[in-house]
Amino acid sequence: MFHRARRTNDPGPAAEALRLVKVGKSYGTGAGAVTALDGVTLGLARGTFTAVMGPSGSGKSTLLQCAAGLERPDSGIVRVDGAEMTGGGEAELTRFRRSRIGFVFQQYNLLPTLTVAQNTILPLKLAGRRVDRARVREVLTAVGLGDRLGHLPDQLSGGQRQRVAIARALVTEPRVIFADEPTGALDTRSARDVLVLLREAVRVHGRTVVMVTHDPVAASYADSVVFLADGRLAGELHAPTVDAVAERLAHLGDDVLLEV
Amino acid sequence: MFALALRSLRKRPARCTATLLSAFLGAAIIMTFQSMHDTAGRPGVDRVSAESLSTAASVVGGYGTLLVFFAVASTLTVNVRQRRSEMELLRCSGATPAQIGRMVVGEAVVIALVGAVLAIGPAMLGGRALLGVFQDSGQVARSVDYSFGPVALMSGIGITVLAAAGAAFLAVRRATRRSVPRRGARRLLAYGALALGAVAVCSTFAFSARDAALMAPPAYGAILLSVGCALVSPKLLTTVLDRLPLPGASGWFAVRNLRRRAAELSAVLMPLILFTCVATATLYMQAVENDAIDASGLPKSVDAKNLETLNLVVVGIIVVFACVMLVNSLYAATTYRAGEFGRQRLAGATPGQVLAAVGVESVVLTVTGVFFGTLAGLAGILPFTLVRSDTPLPGRGPGIWLGVVAVAALVTVGTSLLTARHAVRAPAVEAVTLAA
Ligand SMILES: Nc1ncnc2c1ncn2[C@@H]1O[C@H](COP(=O)(O)OP(=O)(O)OP(=O)(O)O)[C@@H](O)[C@H]1O
Ligand SMILES: [Mg+2]
Repeated sequence: MFHRARRTNDPGPAAEALRLVKVGKSYGTGAGAVTALDGVTLGLARGTFTAVMGPSGSGKSTLLQCAAGLERPDSGIVRVDGAEMTGGGEAELTRFRRSRIGFVFQQYNLLPTLTVAQNTILPLKLAGRRVDRARVREVLTAVGLGDRLGHLPDQLSGGQRQRVAIARALVTEPRVIFADEPTGALDTRSARDVLVLLREAVRVHGRTVVMVTHDPVAASYADSVVFLADGRLAGELHAPTVDAVAERLAHLGDDVLLEV
Repeated sequence: MFALALRSLRKRPARCTATLLSAFLGAAIIMTFQSMHDTAGRPGVDRVSAESLSTAASVVGGYGTLLVFFAVASTLTVNVRQRRSEMELLRCSGATPAQIGRMVVGEAVVIALVGAVLAIGPAMLGGRALLGVFQDSGQVARSVDYSFGPVALMSGIGITVLAAAGAAFLAVRRATRRSVPRRGARRLLAYGALALGAVAVCSTFAFSARDAALMAPPAYGAILLSVGCALVSPKLLTTVLDRLPLPGASGWFAVRNLRRRAAELSAVLMPLILFTCVATATLYMQAVENDAIDASGLPKSVDAKNLETLNLVVVGIIVVFACVMLVNSLYAATTYRAGEFGRQRLAGATPGQVLAAVGVESVVLTVTGVFFGTLAGLAGILPFTLVRSDTPLPGRGPGIWLGVVAVAALVTVGTSLLTARHAVRAPAVEAVTLAA
């Protein structure tokens, strides 16, 4: 059951890290059905940092989960690093994710029984990959936790836990990192640390990062912002500033109101 | 707080099924045997019959009380642990520890009362059947009529409710106390049980081969030894796990999980060890006893037959209780871990890997439990066999033991895997949010 997930003749990263074509997803059936995503088409180039914003319930988390293979879209195509995500069992999807995708959650989702170091190497262990101790220490030192390798998650602050989660997402060297409100539960200072780490992953290591956030300050760390309303794309903003994002968000509300 | 307890019970009736079941079974057993006191106390019962009835009532009654306490305590501890976040929430909204305590104890008392009342009918039927057994074997005169009276009713309800209240009080105190629990008391208890058990087992040699009570010291000794083993086993298990290189990601996972969860494991190991020990010891000793009687060439006496019946009844009771406790602890522990399984999957584990880790964990648990249970059981069997038949080993093969091990393995691995499989059905993201 421990398939080698490492690609042997790695052709190098594809130019387009993520491609969604007419992705649709609804929850429930009949009168109570909710359309969370309504034909979203989106392409993100390699080595970019993109923020996804929109009102609560607009489908941001659903979009991220469909793109990351944690949810199955009802329709449409998802392509990560040039490889199409196909149907199949959860085991197959998991193996698809392992080498290509890292995910950071608002609630950290660390294993409480494992130490910081064990949590970080977990994805490698699960994929049956060799664990390079020096590299793990290096990754954890880079997120500022080089001296906490033996701590358990509940001995850490929220900001520290989130940095462990980022180290865990980085350690497999995935092409795309998805982050769903990674700073949602953090104070301004810890949030800044996390955002700087995500930006470094893009600038220094050439990863592609997609981050959902409600905070215009967090969004201003990204290269561009994609807006979502009612499960549909509602515009894009390049080189975002805090003010520009805040203003666009306010108007996004107007548009939605006008449509109703 | 009592109103809150009732509401919480109405909202989640399934959660207290195990507590209700152990209260019901315990009350039924206590009342069945205590009604022999009522029957013996009727006017016109001759002295011999009265004495037989009272002996049975006292022996099994004592056993039963201990078991009810253990079983209810185990199910309640699991229940309280599952609700730690709910209690934390109450504490944060201003409930004092005493108020939370009253809520949990109130709930336990209500469940115990319901269980005891439900048990009255079955206990009456059981008591009548038991009297029939005694009459058939000639221990009790045919003329004695069955009676279910105040002794059965009061002791059944009283013991069950008291045991539940006490167990709930201890469980909630452990859960709400902020400080780290003291290890000393537990160690003291463990060494005490081991020492007492050793003394009891050794005292077997003070009896002669023909003594009617020969089976009692090794049996009680083995039970005490297994309780002691159960108390020290999590610590020993962690020590062994440090040196156990299990292959693969699932093995790596299982070892790490088991080491961190050592404290919770005693809830699983206790019934597992008790089950293995009691079932093995009693069944082998009874087999040795039967062989010895056969060898002597004399027909089986009424006393011997009675002893056999009582022995089998006691084994049956303990086995059923241990199974209920085992299944409940495993089910609760595995359900409780649904969020953890979700997190494992989000970190890149396939459902197969999650199940494999659970499988490895339960196999390690089974091996540990069977090992200590067999050790404690042998400590009782060997002296008994030596005194009764002058050879150290019973003349029976390992068949009985294999049967006991098969049941233990089936219950442990089966319950864990079935519950875990149910838990990994839900999408990983959902499992994580629900558990958070
Ligand atoms: N598991 C589910 N079952 C049913 N409906 C769901 C489920 N998950 C999401 N939805 C619905 O889909 C829609 C989009 O949800 P989603 O979680 O993607 O929103 P979001 O933009 O992330 O909101 P927020 O900013 O509050 O996190 C909502 O209307 C939500 O109620
Ligand atoms: Mg969301």
